[in-house]
Amino acid sequence: MRFTDFTPFDLVLLAQGLGVNVALFLVTSLLGLVIGIGWAIVRYYHVPVLSELVAFVSELLKNSPVLVQLFLVFFGLPGLLHIRVTPVMAAAITLSANTAAFTYVIAVSAIESIGRDQIEAARVFGLSRWQVLRHVVLPQAAAFAVGPLVALLVNQLQVTSLISVIGVVDLTKIGNILNMRTLKPFIVWTAVGLLYYLASKLVAWLGSRFEKRLRAHSAWRGL
Amino acid sequence: MRLDLSVLLPHLGFLAQGAFLTAQACALALVGSVIMGAFVAIARTSSSARLQRTSLIYVDIFRNVPFIVQLFFFYYGLPEIGISIDAFTTGVIALSMAGGAYASDVIRAGILAIDQGIIEAAEVSGLSRRVIFTRIVLPIALRTSVRPLGSVLINMILTSSILSTITLNELTGSAQIVVSQTYRPFEVYVVLLVVYAILTYLVSLAIALLHRRLNRDMREAVA
Repeated sequence: MRFTDFTPFDLVLLAQGLGVNVALFLVTSLLGLVIGIGWAIVRYYHVPVLSELVAFVSELLKNSPVLVQLFLVFFGLPGLLHIRVTPVMAAAITLSANTAAFTYVIAVSAIESIGRDQIEAARVFGLSRWQVLRHVVLPQAAAFAVGPLVALLVNQLQVTSLISVIGVVDLTKIGNILNMRTLKPFIVWTAVGLLYYLASKLVAWLGSRFEKRLRAHSAWRGL
Repeated sequence: MRLDLSVLLPHLGFLAQGAFLTAQACALALVGSVIMGAFVAIARTSSSARLQRTSLIYVDIFRNVPFIVQLFFFYYGLPEIGISIDAFTTGVIALSMAGGAYASDVIRAGILAIDQGIIEAAEVSGLSRRVIFTRIVLPIALRTSVRPLGSVLINMILTSSILSTITLNELTGSAQIVVSQTYRPFEVYVVLLVVYAILTYLVSLAIALLHRRLNRDMREAVA
């Protein structure tokens, strides 16, 4: 009996792998968005020391390879702090931090895209700083940032493929396993690539639909 | 919890070799991706609908499939069809293909930004279409897209860390070897992170200088 042929179960394996990627993508994107926006708000309020620290960390995370960040968390942290870090935990920490760094930059430029005069006018009307942030800055910044954010998320979905290197059994790892067993790299990697492609396209499509809704108020309605 | 960077001192030479290999791969891949990107940009701005569609498919695929999957596709797939090349060449080819997809967008934008009057003037002067393209359109397009091409290069430096997964001992790969010899993962990877950040920072400085130098006669146009 030969074990090198494809079996129907391989499809289940591929789907499972994709599920791991998508689940991790959803969790880390959500965490990253929240953390990144938090960092941007720290900067918005000019919190001393903290805002400089945030800018530095985000710069460092943006300008170093995700793979090295993964290695640092997965191999480095346990050695330094004497804690156990599972591959999934390391992947979640790294990807969230990475998404946060990029979200921070997008959120900062979105906030800066709103004219000072608007904020001053709102303050003159007696709105508190929190109300200005909530009712004036946030809605406009969201409409400005949604395009870059969608592009970022599509990119981050692809970055999740790197977690296979530290041993998370995701789609790429499944591809590796199937490749080793069947020795048919073209079919295996084409299938894996296709699944990633479809997932990316889905994210991009959902993003563009969401963007259209957010911008509906400023869209040209015709005469 | 202790951080002792002196354990790295004996391995600095080895790491420098890895950094040199990274630089080599990125330099070759930069040339490859600019050539690739220029051809694809030509196809995407051509009047032939079929060329436009084909080039769009290429860009779409290489931007929406994770680099590590592309890399494995080339690394495991090419030998199966009888092309046996070493890891370095495979890595450079994969980086060039992926970088080419991004570079083509940049160069395309550069081409589309060219004033139609310049092309009409060249046509009136009786220049052939090939001469117009190689002597007028491409130099202007490349010159204005130096800065975005620089971000493609920076991305490429970060992406090149993934080449360590196909047994290529570039900067990340040699760092992994140093870790296995010193058992100090945290120190090694922190240094690696900072080295990558400094590397990309220096590259971005150089790009800004080059951009200013190339566009010195049209400062107000490109700022």
